[in-house]
Amino acid sequence: MGCHLSFSFLNRAVFLTCCRVLLLVFACGTGSAIAQETASGDHVQVRWLAPDTFGPGEETIGFYFEVDPGWHVYWRNAGDSGAAPRFDFAGASGEIGDILWPFPVRLPIEHLTNLGYEGDVAYLFSATPDASRMEIVVSLEWLVCKVDCIPGYGNMTLSRPVADAVQWQPQDKALRDRFAAQVPVTVTGDNFPWTVANVSAAPDGDTLQLILEAGEGAAAPEIFPLDGGLLTARAPQVEKSGDTIRYTFQRVPGAVLTPDTGFVVSDGERAWQLDDIEIQAAATSAPGSSNVPVDGGQPLWLLVLAAIAGGAILNLMPCVFPVLSIKLFGLVGPEAAASGRLKEGLRYAAGVLVTFAALGALLLVLRAGGAAIGWGFQLQSAPVVLGLILLFWVMALSFSGLYEFGHHLMNLAGNSRGGAFVTGVLAVFVAAPCTGPFMGAALGAATLLPAYGAMAIFLGLGVGLALPFVLLCAFPALLNRLPAPGPWMETLRQFLAFPLYATVIWLLWVLGRLVGESGWLIGAMLMLAVVFAFWLGRHQFRGSRWLAWGLVLAALVMSFGAANKLQQNGSGSKAAQVTSDQGWQPYNRNAIGQALARNQAVFIDYTAAWCITCQVNKKLVLESEEVETLFRENDVYLVRADWTDQDPEITRALGELGRNSVPVYAWYAPGEREPVLLPQILQAEMIEALFTDE
Amino acid sequence: MNTQGTSGKRSFRKLLGGVALFALPALALAVAVPGEKAPDFSEVDAAGEVRSLKDYEGQWLVLEWFNKDCPYVKKHYGSGNMQALQKKYTDQDINWLTVISSAKGKQGYLEPAQALEVAKSHNLSASAPFLLDADGSMGRAYGAKTTPHMFIINPEGEVVYAGAIDDNDSANPAVIPKSANYVATALDESMAGKAVKTASSRAYGCSVKY
Repeated sequence: MGCHLSFSFLNRAVFLTCCRVLLLVFACGTGSAIAQETASGDHVQVRWLAPDTFGPGEETIGFYFEVDPGWHVYWRNAGDSGAAPRFDFAGASGEIGDILWPFPVRLPIEHLTNLGYEGDVAYLFSATPDASRMEIVVSLEWLVCKVDCIPGYGNMTLSRPVADAVQWQPQDKALRDRFAAQVPVTVTGDNFPWTVANVSAAPDGDTLQLILEAGEGAAAPEIFPLDGGLLTARAPQVEKSGDTIRYTFQRVPGAVLTPDTGFVVSDGERAWQLDDIEIQAAATSAPGSSNVPVDGGQPLWLLVLAAIAGGAILNLMPCVFPVLSIKLFGLVGPEAAASGRLKEGLRYAAGVLVTFAALGALLLVLRAGGAAIGWGFQLQSAPVVLGLILLFWVMALSFSGLYEFGHHLMNLAGNSRGGAFVTGVLAVFVAAPCTGPFMGAALGAATLLPAYGAMAIFLGLGVGLALPFVLLCAFPALLNRLPAPGPWMETLRQFLAFPLYATVIWLLWVLGRLVGESGWLIGAMLMLAVVFAFWLGRHQFRGSRWLAWGLVLAALVMSFGAANKLQQNGSGSKAAQVTSDQGWQPYNRNAIGQALARNQAVFIDYTAAWCITCQVNKKLVLESEEVETLFRENDVYLVRADWTDQDPEITRALGELGRNSVPVYAWYAPGEREPVLLPQILQAEMIEALFTDE
Repeated sequence: MNTQGTSGKRSFRKLLGGVALFALPALALAVAVPGEKAPDFSEVDAAGEVRSLKDYEGQWLVLEWFNKDCPYVKKHYGSGNMQALQKKYTDQDINWLTVISSAKGKQGYLEPAQALEVAKSHNLSASAPFLLDADGSMGRAYGAKTTPHMFIINPEGEVVYAGAIDDNDSANPAVIPKSANYVATALDESMAGKAVKTASSRAYGCSVKY
């Protein structure tokens, strides 16, 4: 381009000549690239955000980028990949300031994090005319990405009269003002709600710590690094203790520490810029930084106590009750001698504890490996769910008296030695979907605590779960209150089959949610095959037994194979199901951030298909007419974060709330940045209270 | 926008993956860091030959991540900048390997035969036709974030440079003559026995399509 002049002391005549030359160059050079007010490329439209008439003084104007849904453009520090847009001012009849960048959002793109804007954005700058027309010639380059990226180029000119008073199109001015409010302001003492206590990094470490002292509202703001060569864009680890908030940023591997660096701090609404903050040298292993996790402010014993209480309550939840009723049934049974009962109870307790310890260990192992998983993860696997369907189906059939297993199955869930142990194991496995009161906080803490603390919490849950049963066994007096054995027991046994059938139906539904509609079919075919095999096995014609075994084996192999394959192919009905939820949006971090920035109230329902507590709350409270009306009238942004399948984003969001299980109900009142967590057993009154208390 | 949750590999695989991850915790953390030993690799190139870090002991080695459809790769290949760099340093007996870590079905993935064709059409002047790392193991071990992400390994097997090819993250090839080439500078400095002034930079470009 012909003309590189510093526009601040640009002489108008020179400028106009220059423009003419430029116009000529454009016209002759490419034919079509006549100087124009807009620019466009794939997925992007750019236009001026400028007044119809400039006033004599400084005016903030800008480039308005309209970006297709799902695509994004970048902040000044683009993050782990991507590139900031470039604005090369070829000339202007006045003074042009630096580009002003509204604060960005973090955009997790596969293995990377970018800093930018999803949706429309305005890049602003100040312009002060020094002639009778405000003329600007600029060439633009931008990058727009979804996962793949497309660069765009354009030339734009602006030519507007200058008069005594500035005149804007009202909607353009509103747009300008909206984005101008998001441009970080320079921190000047008291306009910053926090204080930067310390920025430190070990010269040979791989992190950088920033500590904020919080004032009144102790909300943790988002912090974006300005220097992408020093710090990665990945969200820093945030730890709050009392008034201090510690941010731990990952450094770009091998990057040499600069003496100082800068950040942009945002509460989601406004932003502040911290320039040239000196980086203090820190010891190589900053004390208390990485090796001592936060404890959520609660002493361990309290958390363990909560775990025990939570475990005890679990006995009454609909998931555990059927399994326990089997065991109780065995206990009342005639062959259960009083002396053997305590042993029985202890075996059951051992089963529970060993399983909890194993689950805890697995969770710790996976945590150490960096995987983000949570409580109930065993029910996120289709083969496990199918296995449970099979088990409960066979048990229910036996209870109904369709087939006397003699002591075959009773060995498993009934009276013999291994039985009580296996019942304990089973109880833990099916307990997962019923997060009861007290459990959420304890489990959430378990993911953050050091290994011994986490294990203590898991064992606490186990102790709680096993306790009522062991007590019943240990004190025969209690047991004696139960009625004496008799024919009523046969009736009871048949009755107890029904909770099991109900469990089978529920598990089938879970399977359907995991692998799609064929889940129902696969599960039901397996069940049919099992019943048919029983029937075959009872009829003693030649080879019928072999046929029965063969049939069961074939059904098992086929159904498990199909379930596993379907789940891996990701044919879950998740997308379909989320869109069909009236008014509820799927979980999207950016959309939530934008709703919060609009001061809209936000309600997030962290849920899963296998979580019965969640489904009960959903049907009885969240989808009741009165609550739906309340949400609608108060313009609440509703989000359904579905954790049925492993979703690392949702696991991370739960972790930030200090939780590792569902249900969690997070309520952001209008204008609030920090959520209030509602109880795990919801009532309509609690939702009403959200709107009446204000 | 959550691109991970929809990637099709579901929970059970992830669970197993998590266990595998635990078995190899070093894998998740080890990236190529200037001043430290370069991570091991062993990949088959488009001509079917196995290329391992061991093969280059005592020699200089440059690694370059490639995706033929990435605008930033096009910037450096369309202008001939990358090939000129490859030629200049391979002529000085420096090894240069160009790696494709795009997974099958993702942008930039190439079958061996296609890779040979692309090497020809792009006038690739590296020491081998493309290394095909479709499972992303080498890319992840090095922490390759973008195409083109560049690494320099010295004869002692240490990383001396990791980052972008130059200091200008524009996609426009017109900026190349005005850009400071980090890779050339780092190679010249370290081969002359001097300390590398810029040993790391923000790797600009497209995300590697693992």
